[in-house]
Amino acid sequence: MTAQLQAIGRALIFPAIAIILAFAVGAVVIVATGNNVIAAYGALLSGGFGSFQSLGRTIGNATPLIFTGLAVAVPFRAGLFNIGGEGQLFIGAIAGVAVGLLLPGPGPLVIIAAIVAAGLGGWLWGAIPGLLKVFGAHEVITTIMLNFVAINLAYWLARNPLAGEGLVPGTNFVPDPVRILRLSSGLGAAHYGFVLGIVAAIVAYLLIWRTTKGYEIRAVGLAPGAARYAGMSVAANGFLAIALGGMFAGFGGGLEALGTFGKVSVPFVSNLGFNGIGVALLGRNHPAGVVVGALFFGGLAAGAQQMQFATGVPLDLSDVLLAIVLLFVTATKLVELLIGRRARSLEAGTKLEGGLAG
Amino acid sequence: MSPEEISALLASAVRNATPLAFAALGGMFSERSGVINIGLEGMMLGSAFAGVAGAHFSGSTVIGLLVALAVGLLLGLLHAAATITFEADQIISGTAINLLAVGATGFLMVQLFGSGGTSPRIDRFASIAIPGLSDIPIIGPPFFNQSALVYLLYLLVPVCFYVLFRTPFGLRLRAVGEVPEALDVAGVSVVRMRYTGVGLSGMLAGLGGAFLSMSLLSAFTENMTGGRGFIALAALIFGRWSPVGAFAAAGLFGLAQAYVFSGPGLAIPQEFVEMFPYLLVIIALVGFGGRAIPPAALGKPYRPE
Repeated sequence: MTAQLQAIGRALIFPAIAIILAFAVGAVVIVATGNNVIAAYGALLSGGFGSFQSLGRTIGNATPLIFTGLAVAVPFRAGLFNIGGEGQLFIGAIAGVAVGLLLPGPGPLVIIAAIVAAGLGGWLWGAIPGLLKVFGAHEVITTIMLNFVAINLAYWLARNPLAGEGLVPGTNFVPDPVRILRLSSGLGAAHYGFVLGIVAAIVAYLLIWRTTKGYEIRAVGLAPGAARYAGMSVAANGFLAIALGGMFAGFGGGLEALGTFGKVSVPFVSNLGFNGIGVALLGRNHPAGVVVGALFFGGLAAGAQQMQFATGVPLDLSDVLLAIVLLFVTATKLVELLIGRRARSLEAGTKLEGGLAG
Repeated sequence: MSPEEISALLASAVRNATPLAFAALGGMFSERSGVINIGLEGMMLGSAFAGVAGAHFSGSTVIGLLVALAVGLLLGLLHAAATITFEADQIISGTAINLLAVGATGFLMVQLFGSGGTSPRIDRFASIAIPGLSDIPIIGPPFFNQSALVYLLYLLVPVCFYVLFRTPFGLRLRAVGEVPEALDVAGVSVVRMRYTGVGLSGMLAGLGGAFLSMSLLSAFTENMTGGRGFIALAALIFGRWSPVGAFAAAGLFGLAQAYVFSGPGLAIPQEFVEMFPYLLVIIALVGFGGRAIPPAALGKPYRPE
């Protein structure tokens, strides 16, 4: 037990240092613009977690990030870097809304079909870079490129075959019975997608740490040579992991569209996929960490609004804070410098060490 | 199409290609030295803002451009420090720089100009017609009646080629991206070479950003890069990490963008034209028409044992 706690403690060194550094830099920025640090950070905290309303905003922000965080964390365990969460989320969103709009039937069944379609769409979109990898195209590049293909494809669908009648470009709203229910009126726009996010994180954990397939995925990620020697297929497991990642992002997109917005508008959301990378790294690519990371990101975004309202510090500061966290969360040498010993053993493979030419 | 329409389309293509080409040349110096740079987007955005802020407060467009270059360099060095000195992951650091640029420019818009959205207007780099060349029918005006920054780009392409392939510095830079160990043994500092490559990439991406806010437009608007840093990355890869290739790819992608902007009634839907650069890169990576192969040490942190 103590060994386990020590392991958790070591795992938290990187995120803790990154967060402390970010808030220290943020404090300097706040002072430099003539504001009070305690007032600003106080408003940030209470705006993120201080009331049911702010908690609702935090949960609402965190919901898609849990999914896009898992979209990074799961492939990472197989040694693959999925930068494609953004595109996989868009494919999931448009697939979910298409089913929600076009499939007749009782609401609950249509909701389930729409969510399945979202996951399936994301799975397929995640499978493409998995397949391209076999032909020698590195997933870092293909997933980045496929993001923009996906976004444009989703927008074309939303503006043409699925175009709605409203003035805002995009699809129609899905019928009310197909909308994901809100958690509670006190929690604002937060919907049951959050609960599904927690379920998804648990499923991801069980899949990766409690099944034979998950063991293979981790083995392939940690020691591809040894795994191959033991008869496991590096390519097949990598393919499975990145397709699963795509599925999670697809679910996230579907739930965001069916829950928060009820439609896919043009433009739709931005950077939820890219922020999932930060969420996953902050959570050390562990499903539990992903949930915590998503709540941190979501809370920061929610709190920033209150900070701007209460103190006049522009809410964009939250993006700056997140950027600094991201900049340092994998900085091995910085951590070594600060804790005074070698930290390479602590990183648990948070990096793309093999290079792109591979 | 009438000659006038062709001329207008080409002029729009040149203007759209220019920021892509600057940033792609920038990406080349970083990636040839072994450091992945997906932060081009952020470096462009930061410099686009810095150029306008510099020009607004100094009253001089040229000083604005210098401020843009300085901020590009600064963001490049930040990426270098994070990835080379502190051994942070190169992809993550690039993502962080993109996010930082969005946040910092949004923050500074409110601080310096009172609100987000669009900055005050500045005097932009005016078009200069080159006597003689700009009189050539059809292709003269689009290529030779442009702002000084476009001519700077024409100049930089052969300069970059020369530096990369014909100077000892270029040889070392390329070597450091392929076999850093060899350079280390030969007594060349891998760290210094990579800092130089990434710093140069920030400045060149910065020129691309400055072109957007100080030549194409004459103000900064939030998120005005709109993914151009990623199209530049696509141009770099499709151009096989070479100056001429990147320039040509940027030209092709600029032409595609010009086609989108040329108005309604397109034969191909806008969204599909916009997918085109990204699809081409994927096709190039799987090997049609000669596979695109990255520098061998791209993405690998260098640790002397």
